[in-house]
Amino acid sequence: MSALRGFAGLVLRILRELSDENAYERHLRAHGVKHSGEEWRRFCAHRFEAKYRRPKCC
Amino acid sequence: MKKLIGHGLWAGVALVAAFCLAGLALNRGEHVNSMWIVLAAICTYLVGFRFYGKFIAARVMHLDNERATPAERLRDGHDFEPTNKWIVFGHHFAAIAGPGPLVGPVLAAQFGYLPGTLWIIVGCVIGGAVQDFVILFSSIRRDGKSLGQMAREEIGKLGGFTALLTVFLIMIVLLAAVALVVVNALKGSPWGTFTIAATMPIAVFMGLYLRYWRPGKVLECSVIGFVLVVFSIVGGEWVAQSAVLAPWFTFSGLTLAFAIVVYGFLASALPVWLLLAPRDYLSTFVKLGVVIMLACGILLVRPPMNLPAFTRFTDGNGPIFAGNIFPFCFITIACGAISGFHSLISSGTTPKLIAREWHAWPVGYGSMLMEGFVAIMAMVAACALEPGVYFAVNSPAGVVGATAEQAVATVSSWGFPVTAAQMQALAEQVGETSLFFRTGGAPSLALGMAHIFAQTGGGTALIGFWYHFAIMFEALFILTIIDAGTRVGRFMLQDLLGHIYAPFGRGGWKGGRVLVSALVVACWGYFLYQGVIDTLGGINSLWPLFGIANQLLAAIALCVATTILIKMHRARYMWITCVPLLWLLAVTFTAGLQKIFSPAPRVGFLAQAARLEASLASGIADPARTAEVKAMIFNARLDAFMCAIFLVLVSLVVLDSARLWIGIFRGTREARVLESPFVQSQLRTEDL
Repeated sequence: MSALRGFAGLVLRILRELSDENAYERHLRAHGVKHSGEEWRRFCAHRFEAKYRRPKCC
Repeated sequence: MKKLIGHGLWAGVALVAAFCLAGLALNRGEHVNSMWIVLAAICTYLVGFRFYGKFIAARVMHLDNERATPAERLRDGHDFEPTNKWIVFGHHFAAIAGPGPLVGPVLAAQFGYLPGTLWIIVGCVIGGAVQDFVILFSSIRRDGKSLGQMAREEIGKLGGFTALLTVFLIMIVLLAAVALVVVNALKGSPWGTFTIAATMPIAVFMGLYLRYWRPGKVLECSVIGFVLVVFSIVGGEWVAQSAVLAPWFTFSGLTLAFAIVVYGFLASALPVWLLLAPRDYLSTFVKLGVVIMLACGILLVRPPMNLPAFTRFTDGNGPIFAGNIFPFCFITIACGAISGFHSLISSGTTPKLIAREWHAWPVGYGSMLMEGFVAIMAMVAACALEPGVYFAVNSPAGVVGATAEQAVATVSSWGFPVTAAQMQALAEQVGETSLFFRTGGAPSLALGMAHIFAQTGGGTALIGFWYHFAIMFEALFILTIIDAGTRVGRFMLQDLLGHIYAPFGRGGWKGGRVLVSALVVACWGYFLYQGVIDTLGGINSLWPLFGIANQLLAAIALCVATTILIKMHRARYMWITCVPLLWLLAVTFTAGLQKIFSPAPRVGFLAQAARLEASLASGIADPARTAEVKAMIFNARLDAFMCAIFLVLVSLVVLDSARLWIGIFRGTREARVLESPFVQSQLRTEDL
């Protein structure tokens, strides 16, 4: 049961990484700021600028 | 004792792999079950990962967990962040999985299931996974540098510039080829077109939701987006059945091509958060979900392979694309076995997330094996179709005849019986008016997937839903590639043009950005247009061109990898990268030269142009089509030119690399390793 819980936790962490939610949490920690709409938009501006400068795979 | 059991288990896995591969290779004239292929692939990949991958990690690259990775040394909370290896694995796999491993194997199935399957299995283990792994390792040791930067620093300025130019040109051909896949899947299909059109307002809604209403709640927003997309599939059936609404969403290939070009331009010019980013989140989750669903479906249904091991088209006269099994099977499979584009991902985000060097083994080598397994599943889905249906769907009208009766007669004459009534019943079952001449691979893959999904539950009543679910899944992430690719193409072209006229550069004026966007869209839009008007279906010329370009980029990556191995004084292991490099050069140069110079008009671009010119001169061509035929002549020559450019660019990199290697062996060139210096890792396991 604990193995199943661990697996589900891992899947959730992967999904959170893919959705940039983990990256946003790291951003809040690194800058010592709290979540707000403004902060999320600031994070997105930086994140998307880097993310969509790289080609997507075929 | 434990070690002995381990050896026994691995010997068992290796025996199962050998038994399944031998079973596949020796079986003739009988239908084999797809489980033979699935087991052969899984067991070979496991053995390849455990032994070959580990050998490269330990003996060749000397991975060292004591050495701090850039994620630890340069940790900034943004790009560089030590991350759990399975999370990086998921991230990397999601980034490398594109339409290539799905479409390529479906098209290559025209040779039969065996050639493509064997190449996907073997090519992944000794080629694709090695390339991804060695480039990832090299980038980790160089602070996460990109392939272009490594090519410039390790080989020379020529290598760096060539890599950049090659990537740009490949992107143009790639965008056109995948856009053609979408056009051919949606033409004359109000259900599919409505569903895909609906994903755009859904993406905009998601963008606004994330930006203003629930900032940061990406998973929650993606779940809402997915539910809305499922509703749009259900709504699509209703639209298709409505006499009023159906014509609004029924378009010709040319209209759809124009719509996609306009979409590509708008998506690259609009703010990223509004359309591109939310669509990207949605398509990533749908992509992973469908891949897992397909794997479960194949394991549950275990469909038989209805296509033979080899078809008569190994002789090079295939209806889907022309050319012999060597080299065109390998060119067509492309990303399913080895993909040059992966080297860009392996030297992009991934090296900045790797916490320990040994994590590069499952992430770099393992992810490519997983991608190979996706290609195997696509092959199974395509080959599970009745062969007559497979060829009737994938063959262009220019080859099999313009009417349903002509098409079924031609396909049946090849020994793959199919009737017009059977095709009509199938089309009605999936909610389409016709399934003939749906070149590009996506519709036949969707058909195969729909049959597999329907057998796991819901039966034939749900085939229409599953077919359009599969079309939506393919189109959704292809459109994401188109809008992201156009944007990246714009950046690349801005960088290149900025050297000529500074305002065109990144910080330049807005009008310049719009102009460059329009230029990029016009480039791939033109190739898309030529694919749509091509009587041979477009895929016959565009997909091999894309395959050649992609494999040549892999050759550049392997040149960089070999150079790094030699500089690391591991020349005795350079066969690891040289074997796939030599194979790729043999395959791509043979294919490239044949595509340019073959006297067969369906293979050689120049021969095709000459034939069309002769038909114009002799008055055979319909006078009403003179302008179209002239455009096709120009297109064939343009394709030949593009092919020649690719071959010249890669020849330059290979020759430049070979000159450097010979210099190092002779002692006239310095073998300087450009790795970042060793720093002791302070990372604790619990930090991950």
